[in-house]
Amino acid sequence: MTLPNAPLVPTGWQTIGPFFPRTFFQEADNDLTRLALDAAPTTRGETVILFGQVLQEGGGACVNAVLEAWQADAGGRFRHPADPEASLADPAFMGWGRAWTDAEGRYAFRTILPGGYRDATGTRAPHINLGLLASGVMRRLVTTVFFPDFAAANGADPVLGVLPAALRPKLVAVPEGQRDNCRAFRFDLLLRGEADEETPFFLD
Amino acid sequence: MSSPPDRFGPYDEHTQPQVPIEHYANTVLRNPRRAPFVRPVTRSELTGPLDLASKLHPGDINLAVLDGKPAQGQLIHVGGRILDEDGRGVANTLVEMWQANAAGRYFNPLDQRDAPLDPNFIGNGRCMTDEHGRYGFFTIKPGAYPVPNSNRWWRPPHIHFSLLGPASLSRLVTQMYFPGDPLNAHDLLLLSIADREAQHRMVSQQVPTQQIEGEWLGFTHDMVVRGRHATPPLH
Ligand SMILES: [Fe+3]
Repeated sequence: MTLPNAPLVPTGWQTIGPFFPRTFFQEADNDLTRLALDAAPTTRGETVILFGQVLQEGGGACVNAVLEAWQADAGGRFRHPADPEASLADPAFMGWGRAWTDAEGRYAFRTILPGGYRDATGTRAPHINLGLLASGVMRRLVTTVFFPDFAAANGADPVLGVLPAALRPKLVAVPEGQRDNCRAFRFDLLLRGEADEETPFFLD
Repeated sequence: MSSPPDRFGPYDEHTQPQVPIEHYANTVLRNPRRAPFVRPVTRSELTGPLDLASKLHPGDINLAVLDGKPAQGQLIHVGGRILDEDGRGVANTLVEMWQANAAGRYFNPLDQRDAPLDPNFIGNGRCMTDEHGRYGFFTIKPGAYPVPNSNRWWRPPHIHFSLLGPASLSRLVTQMYFPGDPLNAHDLLLLSIADREAQHRMVSQQVPTQQIEGEWLGFTHDMVVRGRHATPPLH
C-alpha cells in the first residue's frame, strides 16, 4: 500500500517506436537561434552548426532518430527559475531544438556557441546536452557535446571529468570548416560498439 | 507558475524497461554495451524549456474529426494529469501523442502494412497542460497491429506519449495501454518492465459510462514525471 506522502513512482519509459510523426517536425525545430519559424534570430553569440551522423551496432545508419538539444545562451544562462541569473538570459533564445536523422543517419542543428557557468558542482565548460530517442531505444540516451575552443574549461568540467581520460575526446566536437558562413562542428554518435568506439552516455 | 522540481533521484530500475527485448532487433543494435556514466546534476540538467509553445504549437486536441468528417472507430476521450513525484500537477508540460488508426495502421509512410488508411484520421496531437497539470484528447481507439518479423508478436492498442516538462530530467516518453485487452499480458514492451505495479500503472482506466453524456468512451490516465521539491507540498 502507498503511504501518505510517499513519493509517486515515475511512469515507465517506452520507445518512440518506428512511427514518431514526421509531421511533428517543423522547419525551425533544429534552429535554436530562433524562438519560432517566423522569429528573428538572436543577436547574442556566435552562430555555429552542429552536425553529425548517428550509427548503430555494426556501423549502419540509425535512421529516424530524434535528437533533442538543450543548452545555455551565449552568456551561460537559462531562462528558467533554477538559474539565479534567469532575468539576464537572452530573451530571443530558447535553448531547445529538435532534429531527426535522415536515411544516412545524419542530423544538424543551427545554434549559438553556449557560454559556461558556475554552479554548486563547479565550473561547467560550454556544452550542449543531447537526448536521443529512436525505435528500440527504450529510455532516452543522453550525452553532452563540448567544444575544442575551451580546452582548459573542458579539463575542469565536472561532467566530462567523470569519464576515463581516454574517452573524454569522444565528447568534444570536431571543427569541420564553414557551413552557411558559420563555423561547423561535427559530433558523431555510435550507439553501440566496442568499448573504445561507443559514444559515452550518462545515466539520465 | 509554481516552482519547478529541484530534486531528481535515479530511476528505480525495476520500474523501467530493460533491454534487449526479444524479437525487437533495434533494442540490440541501438542500446549501448557500456553502463551509462553517473554524472553530477548541474544547472543544465535541472533546467529545461518553459516556452515550447512558440516552437511546437500545442492545440491539436481533437484527432477524431478531420475537416468536419469523423474518423472511423470507437470515439474516445483520453485525459488525466501529469504529476511529479510529490503528486503535484505539472503545469505547462507539452504533451505530444500519436497512435494508429482503428485498423492498427499509422498515417506514416514507414508503416507499409496492408491495412486500410482512414482518410479522416491522422493520429497526432499536441497540447499543453493547464495549471493543474491536466491534459486531454478526443480521438478514436487505436487498433492492435502485428510487429513484422517477430514470431507474431502483436502490439496491443496503445497511444504513444511524449512529455516535455519543466526540467531536462523530467523528460518522459511512454505508451498508454487500454484496460482489459488480452494482448496486454503478452506485449513485450510492457513486459520489459519487471515491476507488475509499474506495468499496471501504464494501463489507463475506463471512466464509468454513466458519467459521460456524449457518444464517446472515456479513459483516464495520469503520468508521473521525475522530480521532487526540496520544500514539501503544504497539503
Ligand atoms: Fe505504436
